Amino acid sequence: MSLSRRNFVIATSVAVGGSMALSACSSGGGGTGGGTAHAGATTYTGASVTVGTKDDSTGPAPEVNGARKGGTIRGIAPDDFSHLDPQRIYFSWNSTVANLYVRCLTGYKIAPDGSMKLVGDLATDAGTMSDGGKTWTFTLKNGLKWEDGSELTVEDVRHGIERGFASFTTEGATYLQTDLTGTTDFRAQYKGPFSGKHLDSIDTDTAKKTITFKLKLARPDLNFTLAMQSYGAVPVKHDTKERYDKDPVSAGPYRISQHSVDKSMTLVRNKHWDPATDPIRNAYPDSFAFEFGPQALAQTDRLIADSGDDQYAVMAYYGIPAERMQKVLTDPELKKRTINGLLSGLYYYAINTKRVTDLKVRQALIYAWPLEQIRKIYGGPSAGDYASSILSPDILGYEHADVYGKLKKPQGDPETAKKLLKEAGQLGRKIVYAYPISDTYNKTKVVIENALKAAGFDPVIKPIDSTSYYDQAQQVDNKFDVMWFGWAPDWPTGYTVIQPLFDGGTIGNGSNNVSQLNVKWVNEAIKKNAVIADPKKAGKAWAALDNKIMKEEAPIIPETYQRRFYLHGSKVGGALFDPLFSAFIMYKLYAKA
Amino acid sequence: MFRFLVRRILGAVVILLIISAITFLLFYVAPRDPARLACGKTCTPQTLALVRRNLGIADPLPVQYWHWLQALFTGRDYASFGRCPAPCLGYSFHYHEPVLGLILNRFPTTLSLALGSAVVFVLFGVGAGMLAAVKQGRTVDKVASSASLIGSSLQIYIVGLVAMYYLVDQWHILSRPQDIPLTQDPMGWFKGLLLPWFILALIFTANYTRMTRSQLVEALSEDYVRTARAKGLSRRAVFFRFAWRGAMGPLLTIFGLDLGGLFGGAIITEATFGLHGIGALSVDAVNNNDLPMLLGVTLVAAGAIVVLNIVVDALYAFIDPRVRLA
Repeated sequence: MSLSRRNFVIATSVAVGGSMALSACSSGGGGTGGGTAHAGATTYTGASVTVGTKDDSTGPAPEVNGARKGGTIRGIAPDDFSHLDPQRIYFSWNSTVANLYVRCLTGYKIAPDGSMKLVGDLATDAGTMSDGGKTWTFTLKNGLKWEDGSELTVEDVRHGIERGFASFTTEGATYLQTDLTGTTDFRAQYKGPFSGKHLDSIDTDTAKKTITFKLKLARPDLNFTLAMQSYGAVPVKHDTKERYDKDPVSAGPYRISQHSVDKSMTLVRNKHWDPATDPIRNAYPDSFAFEFGPQALAQTDRLIADSGDDQYAVMAYYGIPAERMQKVLTDPELKKRTINGLLSGLYYYAINTKRVTDLKVRQALIYAWPLEQIRKIYGGPSAGDYASSILSPDILGYEHADVYGKLKKPQGDPETAKKLLKEAGQLGRKIVYAYPISDTYNKTKVVIENALKAAGFDPVIKPIDSTSYYDQAQQVDNKFDVMWFGWAPDWPTGYTVIQPLFDGGTIGNGSNNVSQLNVKWVNEAIKKNAVIADPKKAGKAWAALDNKIMKEEAPIIPETYQRRFYLHGSKVGGALFDPLFSAFIMYKLYAKA
Repeated sequence: MFRFLVRRILGAVVILLIISAITFLLFYVAPRDPARLACGKTCTPQTLALVRRNLGIADPLPVQYWHWLQALFTGRDYASFGRCPAPCLGYSFHYHEPVLGLILNRFPTTLSLALGSAVVFVLFGVGAGMLAAVKQGRTVDKVASSASLIGSSLQIYIVGLVAMYYLVDQWHILSRPQDIPLTQDPMGWFKGLLLPWFILALIFTANYTRMTRSQLVEALSEDYVRTARAKGLSRRAVFFRFAWRGAMGPLLTIFGLDLGGLFGGAIITEATFGLHGIGALSVDAVNNNDLPMLLGVTLVAAGAIVVLNIVVDALYAFIDPRVRLA
């Protein structure tokens, strides 16, 4: 998703090259996962997402090498999780912990190398599609139970989805609601399950344990959408509506046993969870104990000191801040206790195609942009990898492309830029660059300004208060030519990036198509690709469209895929970077003896 | 005395009302929309309107303020939260709980931190100031004066982190700062707050040393002190009965303000040590665009200062016989 305001406040309050997965949604594309553990350029391994089979969807999850049961894993974080109710979860830091107690129809099975398979979580497989993607059917596994021992039924799955229409679940994802009703104003069609009514577009068969979605629009990747925790199951009998956010009922390996808002939270084993039903989660520790409060530096110093209970601690979702990166990466003992990976999604600069109408000028901007100098300010290679395409390496079907040779000349190519500007007859053209004020972006604007001058532009820099940045940048009639931006997809397919960012039909105030690209062939290609049923073919088509948009429209300047480093205590085992939520995979951790 | 108290309390209520109105206004002047935070990624105008209704911010500003005031006495029903009983300071947008409960939940931490550090900085600050005044111009005075100069220029977020790194992480001399309730484990409470008390007190100590010294030096040179000495009173009697009493007035005023300020939350100290008091709550309220919480913590902070001012003014009469409460 777009970098939300809340995320943004948090993200800009710390240096960028540092700390937390600032974008990211409850589900999303991931980094290269178990990529090289050292700072430096990463070798892309290509697409790492596939759709798994029925066998892949059968539990238990593969054992983690050397893991042992028992003990407590401790999580440290500056702030509490903002929501526990699955239908209100969107941000990755909530998802990290929600993975321990929320289960959806589908989910991602993550291998030690970081590759992912979409498998059935509550469902027996990743779903059966018919009618070109307009109908989807899932069958529930046997042996699924809630934490009180009652059976988890298809009614509970439907209830979770219908809750997404209620008036109090405004924070969650809305894809499925829109697909089921055919409108973004879906609450006008259906008010949620509390009135006693069910949606006509969902059929359940309790005896057969099936749930069928009849969509208004074809959605061949609906099974990816359903992996979002916004569509997690909620027990009909124990739904406390608004209060559910305080005390959700577990279907996963752990249940919440104690929660003191903004202070601490403890999860203990859910004895009714059957590992045989769960292909995704391991559950080694007896409990997880989260402590909220310590700020980035304090938590890092504690983990560096590695004393007492902190030996069993991990950074819950807030990574190593820039100030400690050097210390951690140069000390082999400390470095051994880190994990790292790329954040899902892309940081980029949107070019306002309504204002910069000449393709050559847009291409000149891309050539001129000083990626190397910008990344140096973020903290160098450890801060992330250069981006050269719209889709990131974790997207299904990703193909490496570098239309403008940015990887060869990351410092910018002012000569080529100048040549293009001359050809366009716009040498000395004014370019208004807007960015949200922060320590980091106040620095990057300097190198950007210099690079634009060197390429023959006349840069005008517009720093904007970070709290109102999005409101201003997402206005259709804004006066900006180039705008800092970021995008993290909600699931790792091309649709989730290219459609929201470049579909001309979405243009409007608050739209994520900040480039305001409205080109017929792009709009048509998006429609066409969106209904390709075969994931592999769809992946190829999106990658090709990515390449073509960059070549023929040049609507954005891709900047970086940012990298996060996290520390864990010396007695934590099974530490693995979660390519979905850009943090530790909680359910694979174990406490060493 | 009674009339004094009634007058001051009424004045305090007016001040708090004005502060709440200003906070309300300021919040809406800021270019941020709290409804957007709870509106999700695909925030349609319909959803935004729904969130505004849920949060109770769909009405015009004066109506909202009036509802807020009413809720203080009558409680209020919220569309998406349920009933908030009187005295209702509103529902926190971020925590989805009544503001008052959250503040009361945090208050013991703030109280422990403020009182503990007050004991430390009064003991050390006033003590060192007295010593420096008595030994004016001698080594003790010079050491105390220069130490206080250094102390007052230190910053909690640096000293706190350095102290934590060495005293806790490296040398294991002190316990990790944490807020364990006094009622749950008195020893844990003491150990958990020892470092924050001293670090927070460090800056105050320096100020109190300097202030006590200058007040006492001034008082010691007063005519009445000289007269007392000429009458043949002992040095000790002159110091405590005359000079000290004269110097105490201004110190008490400052102490009242400082303590009141601390009750409103020691923001930097709490952030440095990861404590969960009122200070941390106010930072979160600002970051989360949480108007009800912001109003709540602002009123608590202002209320603490106002109340302690009344207390200080009342105490003045006991210290200084020239002051009469009327």
